[in-house]
Order: sequence, then C-alpha cells, then structure tokens
Amino acid sequence: MRPGRRRLRSSGRRAAARDEEAGISPRNRHAEGRAGGGSAALYRLAWRNLWRQPRRTLLLVVVVAYATLAIVFLWGFIDGFMTGMLASQGRLVAAPVLITTTAYHEDPDPSHPLPALAPLERIAAERPEVRSAAPRLEFGALLRSPYTSEGVMARGVDPGREAAVSAIPDTVSEGRMLAGPGEIVLGSGVADRLDSRVGERVAVDASAADGPTSLGLRVVGIVRSGTPAVDDTTALVDIADARRLTGIATATGLALDVPRGQEERVASRLGAALPAGVTAYPISALIGQLARAVGWGRVEVTVIGLVFSLFAAIAVTSTVVVSVLERTREFGVIVALGLDQYRLSTLVTLESVYATALGWLAGAVLGYGLLWLFSVWNAFGPLFTGLYGEMLSGITLPDQLLTVVRPQYLLYASVTIALAALFAAVAPARRVRDLRPAEAMRSE
Amino acid sequence: MTPTPSARAIRPPAFARLARVGLIAVALAAGSLATPARAQAAAGTAEDEARALLDAVIDNLRGLSERATLDLTVERPDRTVHYRMDIVSDGDQRSLVRVSAPPREAGQAFLSIGDNLLVYSPRLGRSLRLPPSGRSNAFLGSDLSYDDLAGGEYRDRYTAAVVGRSADTVTLDLVPQPEAPTPYGKLVFVVAAGSHAPESLTFFDQRGNAVKRSVFSDFQDVDGRTIPQRFEIADLLKEGYRTTAVFRDASFGIDIPERCFTEAALERGCF
Repeated sequence: MRPGRRRLRSSGRRAAARDEEAGISPRNRHAEGRAGGGSAALYRLAWRNLWRQPRRTLLLVVVVAYATLAIVFLWGFIDGFMTGMLASQGRLVAAPVLITTTAYHEDPDPSHPLPALAPLERIAAERPEVRSAAPRLEFGALLRSPYTSEGVMARGVDPGREAAVSAIPDTVSEGRMLAGPGEIVLGSGVADRLDSRVGERVAVDASAADGPTSLGLRVVGIVRSGTPAVDDTTALVDIADARRLTGIATATGLALDVPRGQEERVASRLGAALPAGVTAYPISALIGQLARAVGWGRVEVTVIGLVFSLFAAIAVTSTVVVSVLERTREFGVIVALGLDQYRLSTLVTLESVYATALGWLAGAVLGYGLLWLFSVWNAFGPLFTGLYGEMLSGITLPDQLLTVVRPQYLLYASVTIALAALFAAVAPARRVRDLRPAEAMRSE
Repeated sequence: MTPTPSARAIRPPAFARLARVGLIAVALAAGSLATPARAQAAAGTAEDEARALLDAVIDNLRGLSERATLDLTVERPDRTVHYRMDIVSDGDQRSLVRVSAPPREAGQAFLSIGDNLLVYSPRLGRSLRLPPSGRSNAFLGSDLSYDDLAGGEYRDRYTAAVVGRSADTVTLDLVPQPEAPTPYGKLVFVVAAGSHAPESLTFFDQRGNAVKRSVFSDFQDVDGRTIPQRFEIADLLKEGYRTTAVFRDASFGIDIPERCFTEAALERGCF
C-alpha cells in the first residue's frame, strides 16, 4: 500500500474515532448530510478539525494574529508619533495652552494685551492639571547688527519660568539661556543672518504706543532646535526689556504647561472661568499651520496604513486558501463517506472562521498589550532621536514618543481580517461544493 | 540692508540732519569743533574734555534751520544712480525731503517729525508711516536707511574719549554705553586740529573690524561754523558700494514756514 493511502486510512480511522466521541455515527453523519440538520455537531466538528492538523491551524492563527497585532500597533504608533511631534513642535513654537485675549489671537499685536496677570494666574492655578504658568510678551522688532538688520517677532519671557512651558531653553546650544534684562537669545538662523555671536550686542528697535523705542541687548545664547520655524525666527528677551520696548505693563499671553493629551480639555475648562475677551487656546489652535501639516501627514499615513492592511489581508487570504486547497483529497474522502458538499463547504468556512477568530483574538490581546507597554515606556523616543535625529534635521523628533491606545484600532484590524477571511472562505467553499469525490481522492 | 554709520552713530533726532550734511556726524564735527571754547571750559579730565566736546558738537547742530539742494549719487558694482532732492529743516526736530530727479523717482517725499517718519509715494498717491521694520530699508537704494535718516538720540549713548592728537588732527573714540541701541563696537572720529572740521568717521563692528567710513570735504563757513558740503559713505565690507552726497545752494538760519512740516507739504511741497 502506498504511504499516502496509509495516511488517508489512518486519518479516516482517527476521524471516525473522534466522530464517535462526538456522538456522530457514520450513519447519523450520512443522515445529517442528507437532511441538512445537526448544525451544533458541525460546529463541534469544525472546531475539532482545527486540531487534527495543529501545525496548519497554528500557522493560520499566527498569520492572522500577526496581521491583527501589526495593524493595531501600526495605528497606535502612528497616532503616538503624530501626537508626540505635534506636542514637541508645539512646545517649541507656542505652548501647550496659552491664555490670551481674543483680539490678540486674531491680530497678534501687543496693542491687545492681557488685563492684570495676577487674577489669570490664580484662575490657572486652580486647575489641578496646570503644572506651571509663565507670562509672555510678544512684539514685532527690528534687530540690527553692524552688517544688516532683521525683522522678527520677539518674545519677552520670564527666564526663571519659561523653561517649564517651553522647550526652547533646552535647545540653547551655544552660550546660555537668558538670566535677566539686557540680554537676548537668538535662533541660529537669525544669528547667522545678522552675523551676530554670543557676547556681541544687537540693537533692538520696536514701536511703543508713544513712539519708536530701542535697546541694545547682548547676545547670550544661540538656539539650535533643528526646527527651521524656531531657529529662523527666535528672539527671546527678558520680559522687563519687552515691557520697556513696547510700553505694555502686563503681557500678551500666559503660557501654561499641562500634561500631554489634555491640552484641549484644560483649555476648554479654563475658558469657562476666564473674563470676557480672554480665552485659553490649546496647542492645536496655536500652531494652526503645523497642525494642518500634521493632519495632512495623517492622511498620507492613512494611505500607507491601508496598503499595509491590504498586504495583511493578502497574507491571511493566501494562508487560508492554501490550507484548504491542500486538503482536496481529504474532502473527497469526506464527501465519499456521505457528508454532502454544502455542509462540507460550511464546515470548511467554519474552520476558517474559528482559526481566524483565534488569531484575531490573540493578535488583539498582544497588540493592545504592546500598545499599552509603549504608551507608558518611552522606548521609541530616544531610539528614533538617536537613529534619525541627524537625518531628519528639518523635523523635531519628539523626545517622548509614546504610543496611543484607542479602541478604534481594533475595528480597523477586525474589518481587515474579516474581509480577508470572507474572501478567503468564499473560493474554497465554492471549490468544495463543486468537488467530485473520485477526482478529489486521486489528487496529490 | 546695511545701516549707515554716520547717521546712526551721532545724528541728533531729526531727519533735518540730512539737510545739513545728511548725517549728524558732519554737523556734529562742524558744530563741536566750531565751539572749542566751550569744550575747553568744560574740560577737567580727559573724559570730561571729550564729553564736553561731544556735547558741544551736538548742541551746535541744533537750531540752525536750512534749505538746500542735495545731489545724491549711489554707486554699485553694476550701476550708478543720481538723485536730486530739495531739503528744508527747522534745525531741530522737523525736516522735509522731496525728490526732484530722476523723473522716475520724482515726487517721493519724506517728512520727519521727531521720531515719526512718513513717506509719500506718488505712485500710490498716499502717505505711509514707516513701521520699525520698514525703517531699515535702503533710502533710495543708497547706503542710507530710513532709520538712519529718522535717527535717534545717540548723544547720550556713547562714551567719548580723546585717543589721539597730532599737529593736524584730533581723534575721538566713541564707545557705546552698555545698553546703547547701536550694533557698533566703536566709532572713531577724526577732526582737523586747526579748523575742527570733520575729516572722517569710521564705524567698527564689535570684533574690531572697520565696516563703514564717512569722509567729509568741501567745507563752508556758516555763521562761525565749518560745515562740510560733501561727504562719502563707503561700505568697507562690500567693494564698489558707495554713496556720495553733495549739498548745493545751502542757505542757513532762514525762516522755514510751518506749512513745510505738514502732510500736505509731504505730497505737494511747500515752496
């Protein structure tokens, strides 16, 4: 007897033994096939069939699990990357939350300053999420060196408090951060164009309500953040100097530090407590252009994600199809033993559904487990900064790159896997329905 | 845009300085050195002497009204442009400059009243107040900027010291005070020892390099003062960049009508 026939007979004996355990006698099985009943038995049979070939089942489960895990993790990572980039860029360009007048937000001119700062600081301090606050006074200024001049939007800051609400002080790569009046910190692009160095003086011209004003300030630090929007525009001065130059006694904004991801909520709650004409703006409202750029980036990444999902679906489909096709001979035997082809196709589909569901479940658990792990462990931030910081010199990679955990990722993965499994089940099921037992049993 | 050395450094706060020599330095030198007695009276120490000299120079710039025609030549490596303009000044805070040639630029006018500078453009048919950023733009493409012309109060922002004397000249160093709104590291002012007329004014950056130099000539004695009628500003960092101003038909100490310092005069002139 040929080895294949021995395996078939042995397999048939094992199947018959399992059927007996399940209470399905050959006669009953035949009768059920004709009557189309016994669905519960069919479900059980499909479940058992999964474990008749554990390696094949395991392969399918692993492929589906991997696809599910990959899709879930991909979206969580992408969202985390985008959110992290927005947050880090925002802390460079603006602040997590900024309290300012509505008029200043619409027309950034120091002639629309905040009223008295102290009440606003008290309101901010009442929110437990607000970790710190720092006043800012932004104004248009002309910087002059012996060689040229440059128009900038200068920012008057409190040197002792600014570091808590901004990442710029951490990017002073030459010299130091402001320590008090009479000093200025320049972005590297501004310093290069002015040809000004640390220790040299620049003249700062501004416009106060009662006429032009000017000061000579010594350059004490150069900012190199790697972000052109910062390096090409930054001019930090002490808020006392900013007040002298503009004649404004208060500030144009009160920058707040709040935990990442809570900017919108904190701004909304603060807004209700602020006086008329004063609003709290979250980071997304402060860096509109950057937020739009990130939005477009998200669209582009969505396309990549869909392509990834397509490949995942192809992997699942091909695995299911191959796992069914290699059982042609087995199906021929089963049909020859009396199970009608409709029920056999149902059996095959059920087996695919079971295996896919197992894989999906395992992938979801693993995927969300990984997402949770990397949402609390900043492993990617230092890794990406180290690997790509130099290459992506125009982009500020976030130091803190944490994944995001959102339930909709499971939906994305489920749709992908379900469609793949459905597609994968249709073709083999049709093939089983058209099966000719005699030909199938002869196939290799 | 490159700042103009002479105007930025020592000019009093009036656009009118262009009318006198266009730049404070010239008038500064002329005025200060035309009143040596005052300087000598105040001289107790070397620092006091230099300070008194500087004060006297600036005091002598004030109060001398003027009407003149200015020929301005702007030289660049690839072109040379000639301008002619009419200038009136009350000698203190107000001045009016109207361009008469070439035809393409004729009608442009600049009115300075204290720290405010208004520009009239015949093409736009309207007057504009220059913001701080716009004031750094080149004045008619020359080595002067609107900001130079509008000027600021620089007298109190420099510490003067006499650093050299010879039979023919006296050399003053002007070092900016700590928060002085000037980007220069030092100005070196050379004047003739005999006539006290200015010979040159050199602007140094904060690394000790000379970046601009004004040279004065064609002196005219006016009311006991020796005032140069020609000056050249050379950009020492860019070869071929030079601006020359020559005053013609200058009348000093005359009555200037109030209507000359109005927006109407900016658009239509006052003579």
